[in-house]
Amino acid sequence: MNRSLALPALLPLAFLLLMVAAPLARLLQEGHAGFSLALLQDSYIQWRLLWSAGQALATCALALLIGLPLAWVLARFDFAGRRLLLRMLMLPFVMPTLVAGMGVLALFGPHGVAGVNLQDTPWLLLYGNLFYNLPLLVRAGVDGLEQVPASRLAVARTLGASPWRTFWRVEWPVVRPWLASALCLIFLYCFAGFGLALLLGGQRYATVEVEIYTLVAYELNLADAGVLALLALGVGAAVALAYAALERGITRPQRLAPTLRTPAQGWPQRLLLAAALAVLALCCLLPLLAIVWRALQADAAVWAMLAEPEVLAALGNTLRFASAALLLSLLLGLCHGWAAQRWLALRALVFLPFMVSPVCLAFGLLLLYPQYSASVGLLIAAYALLAYPFVAKGVLSAAAALPPQLPQAARTLGATPWRSFCRVSLPLMRPALRRGLAFAAATAVGEFAVSLFLSRPEWATLTTLIYQHLGRPGAANLQLALLLSCLLMLFALLAFVVIEWPEKNHARAD
Amino acid sequence: MLELIDLSLSYAGRALLQGVSLQVAAGETLALLGPSGEGKSSLLSLVAGLQRPDAGRVQLAGQDITRLPPEQRHIAMMFQDHALFPHLDAAANVAFGLVERGTGKLAARQQAVQMLAAVGLAGREAAAVHTLSGGERQRVALARALVCQPRLLLLDEPFSSLDTHLKQQLLADVRRHLTALQVPALLVTHDRHEAFALAQRVAILQAGRIVQHGTPQAILQAPASAWVARFVGLDNVFDDHAIPPQAFVLGAGQPRRDIIAVEAQADGWRVTVAGDGGQAWQLLLGVRELAGQGAPCVGQQLAIGLDRRQVLYW
Amino acid sequence: MLKKSVLLLALAGLSLSALAAELRVMTHSSFSLPKDRIAEFEKQNGVKLSIVKGGDAGEMLNKLILTRANPIADVVYGIDNTLIAKASAAGILAPTSSKVGRTEKDAQLPGAVAVDYGYVTLNYDKAWFAKAKLPLPATLDDLTKPAYKDLLVVQNPATSSTGLAFLLATIADRGEDGAFKWWEKVRDNGLKVNKGWSEAYYTDFSRNGGSRPIVVSYATSPAAEVFYSKEKISESPTANLLLKGGVFLQVEGVALLKGGKEPQAAQAFVDFLRSDGVQTGLQTKMWMYPAVAGTAIDPVFAHAQKPAKFSNPSLAAMNGKTAGWVSRWNRLVVKQAN
Repeated sequence: MNRSLALPALLPLAFLLLMVAAPLARLLQEGHAGFSLALLQDSYIQWRLLWSAGQALATCALALLIGLPLAWVLARFDFAGRRLLLRMLMLPFVMPTLVAGMGVLALFGPHGVAGVNLQDTPWLLLYGNLFYNLPLLVRAGVDGLEQVPASRLAVARTLGASPWRTFWRVEWPVVRPWLASALCLIFLYCFAGFGLALLLGGQRYATVEVEIYTLVAYELNLADAGVLALLALGVGAAVALAYAALERGITRPQRLAPTLRTPAQGWPQRLLLAAALAVLALCCLLPLLAIVWRALQADAAVWAMLAEPEVLAALGNTLRFASAALLLSLLLGLCHGWAAQRWLALRALVFLPFMVSPVCLAFGLLLLYPQYSASVGLLIAAYALLAYPFVAKGVLSAAAALPPQLPQAARTLGATPWRSFCRVSLPLMRPALRRGLAFAAATAVGEFAVSLFLSRPEWATLTTLIYQHLGRPGAANLQLALLLSCLLMLFALLAFVVIEWPEKNHARAD
Repeated sequence: MLELIDLSLSYAGRALLQGVSLQVAAGETLALLGPSGEGKSSLLSLVAGLQRPDAGRVQLAGQDITRLPPEQRHIAMMFQDHALFPHLDAAANVAFGLVERGTGKLAARQQAVQMLAAVGLAGREAAAVHTLSGGERQRVALARALVCQPRLLLLDEPFSSLDTHLKQQLLADVRRHLTALQVPALLVTHDRHEAFALAQRVAILQAGRIVQHGTPQAILQAPASAWVARFVGLDNVFDDHAIPPQAFVLGAGQPRRDIIAVEAQADGWRVTVAGDGGQAWQLLLGVRELAGQGAPCVGQQLAIGLDRRQVLYW
Repeated sequence: MLKKSVLLLALAGLSLSALAAELRVMTHSSFSLPKDRIAEFEKQNGVKLSIVKGGDAGEMLNKLILTRANPIADVVYGIDNTLIAKASAAGILAPTSSKVGRTEKDAQLPGAVAVDYGYVTLNYDKAWFAKAKLPLPATLDDLTKPAYKDLLVVQNPATSSTGLAFLLATIADRGEDGAFKWWEKVRDNGLKVNKGWSEAYYTDFSRNGGSRPIVVSYATSPAAEVFYSKEKISESPTANLLLKGGVFLQVEGVALLKGGKEPQAAQAFVDFLRSDGVQTGLQTKMWMYPAVAGTAIDPVFAHAQKPAKFSNPSLAAMNGKTAGWVSRWNRLVVKQAN
């Protein structure tokens, strides 16, 4: 058993070594002469660090508070369009930060439809954080809650537990590890946050990652940047380890019993469902709708620009890079997730790509592999690096939920370990795998940190093109950028629907 | 055919099996009987190759297979909860092993359908596993195990989740199939009825050791210890002897004894009377034995004698 | 299908590198030239142009400095007067000159060959001021007065080159301490800071749904507004607010990199950027003025005034002190308030 897990672990470990550890070490080496901890005594830096951790924790708490009830409603009630809604929930993930910001401001900006200007208030900062992070928590919550067998809920109810008590005593223990993993991710994202919160809340909400970015990209102060990056890595590692330890207690659910999901009955339930959908729409979908609404007002001439070769090429690049990155992510994620069943450290390492300062990584890679710095291979590896943790996470939780006697049965029926993995374990993990892949796709289609790497004009993706147009003044540029954003959403939604196409036998599972 | 030689296994510092040796002859069914959680399932895992023993050997048809991976052993196993693959339909479950053994997909499916029909599941080929009833799952598991014509069949408490009536029916079916196919089988169970109904020979496992083995009759006639006597279902077990039901003689002329307790059963009464030497004797009395006397009750007396030749000593 | 396309992509990569000569050009992310010009250059010089974008100009320069031991490019375009001294000090540039054309008086870039130049300055939203019936501010100090509270948005000089340019202009005009005093006052008068030009222009500028009618941008932006307008308009919706101490001259240039290969092709590329075709074509692509004197100016540039005066610190000061200024600015403006 041990040996059969060690082998797949080698691939992701080698990948992480080459793509994360070595570049980071190289960058630190470059700056090591000037290392000084005096930096940490600087009150300005202390404030940045505290703020980074504080706002990340606050976002986690808020996402949990709002997201868990939403997840519960989505997991327990059936309604038309439920599946599509779950797919659409991942759209905030692919939105370029600036476009998302424009969507939010179209609602709550100085001239927003809501009629109140929340720009530069903490409210919009929180809202911006929720826009990106709530979907993560809601999806994880729904997935976790669907692992609770209906019979267990029924038992609790017949034993006299109210729905409230049932939740805490039966559902909460099952869903907890799922939430923990989402919260860990949200923390890491927010801690290294660069985008929307800053855009909406103002520059004073800059995280330590912004500081690192300035130090590396503008001041080439690798010494100070290295100290900060190591510190950030330490915080991230502590969080990821805590999560990995927590997840050890993951429960083994009975797979055969489908979960309970009924249409909302009676007005209290309908009201609950309506309220949940309203909150979800408010937090995650309205800004997207605002973008679509604004984009639809584009002139015919701008619409016609969608057919220009550069747009088609960008669409092709997006498709090509995303699929290549997905393939690599699938391989890495499968190996890492499967092997991580056994080792706590390997489980924590799943989040390593999110713990390391992206700008340090980009510069480290450049230092380490100058000859490949503008190669497609490195580009796709970078995309995959940021995408595959989602696949690994999916595999990890699915593997933990796999009844051990099923692969054993396969073995007694003549299947080698590999065949048993392919014919039994893998198909049983497929729903979780697809879920992970969908998130990975969202990452690969979105901007994330890949913009820090060297790029070529002929590699322009939809996201790059959007930013190119937003880099110039003029109404036509703005309108085209908005239209391209709609195209990006459409493309991503299509990808999510295809990736998470329900399987015959698992139609109920998602 | 199957030979287990001195197998030992421990888990987390606890000895599950200690020097277990057993033989299953060709075409024979051996039942391994023991209380729950005493290492019976671990023994099957060793035979199937899912675990390695700490010491000892497993031999099949003269070949040492102790280190052979499970897929090369051609030993089929029925799991406690059937372990059907939830992502496959009934026929695909049955065909699974055939495909692994190199049968083409179409041919395998055909054979699987035939096998399903043979276990009484004609027409259920395409059923999803979670739509099958407990008995149906059991039959699919049986079909899946037998269709590959294994050299040996391992049964791990396969009937434990079924109701009594269904269990009887399935026991009969399994026995019929095992006889028809001449497959040797090793059954692990904590239920003596299952063991005695299915097996030609029974081995009794207590705390990781075989404490007795033989035919069901031999064990019932000469239990090796008070523990064994109790475990095989004798009610009146004392320090060095046990009184089997057939040793009690009812009727006129026998000493009258006070009834201490009465417990109603589906087919009569379990009556406790004051026996010789301060012993309390339990008897299962049917309506026939109590002909005309009406229901026994505490405070009455019963005429019960003891045929001392039938008492079992160890 | 997918595998096939990945394979094709790999093959394509191979086949490109297999071509006889490849000129590696490092540029900042705003680099843009008409495609036919590039094709023409490749054809004439028998090289394949491999353009690599290294991010913002500052980021790009740092990438070049870090990799100087193994140069990742042969020639670099996009180093401007805020960065040239840093580049020279780092010793990554090879001596570069061009015999093509005569350089405009303003567009001098010692250490490199100037290609284009432009001015970072304030833009204002004409409609907003007309509606508010507020006179335009006449000096930067006006912006610290209550009448102009909450009107200005700038970019953070730590993450944006326009933000940095504007900060440098204020310092050149008022001296360091004077400038930071002004920044403190303008901060207390509701200054808004955003990350980059795009963020400020498209989320804060009142013309695009924000609440700030004055934004740090380029002097050519009003012309670009006309060029990229939806329907043909005869007047730009924005205009330059050319205030003393609020205009920075930016000169961008091209230079050979030390250790670069293909020196001949590299020199050809330098000359190519100075050629009339490029000098004409870059105007409405990158919205900069051509550095070669006598180049015909695109008519749309009539919508943009060319500032008569600008305030630039010396090249040496910009190399030595910029990091300290940016850091001081962030502590003063961002941390204290916003």
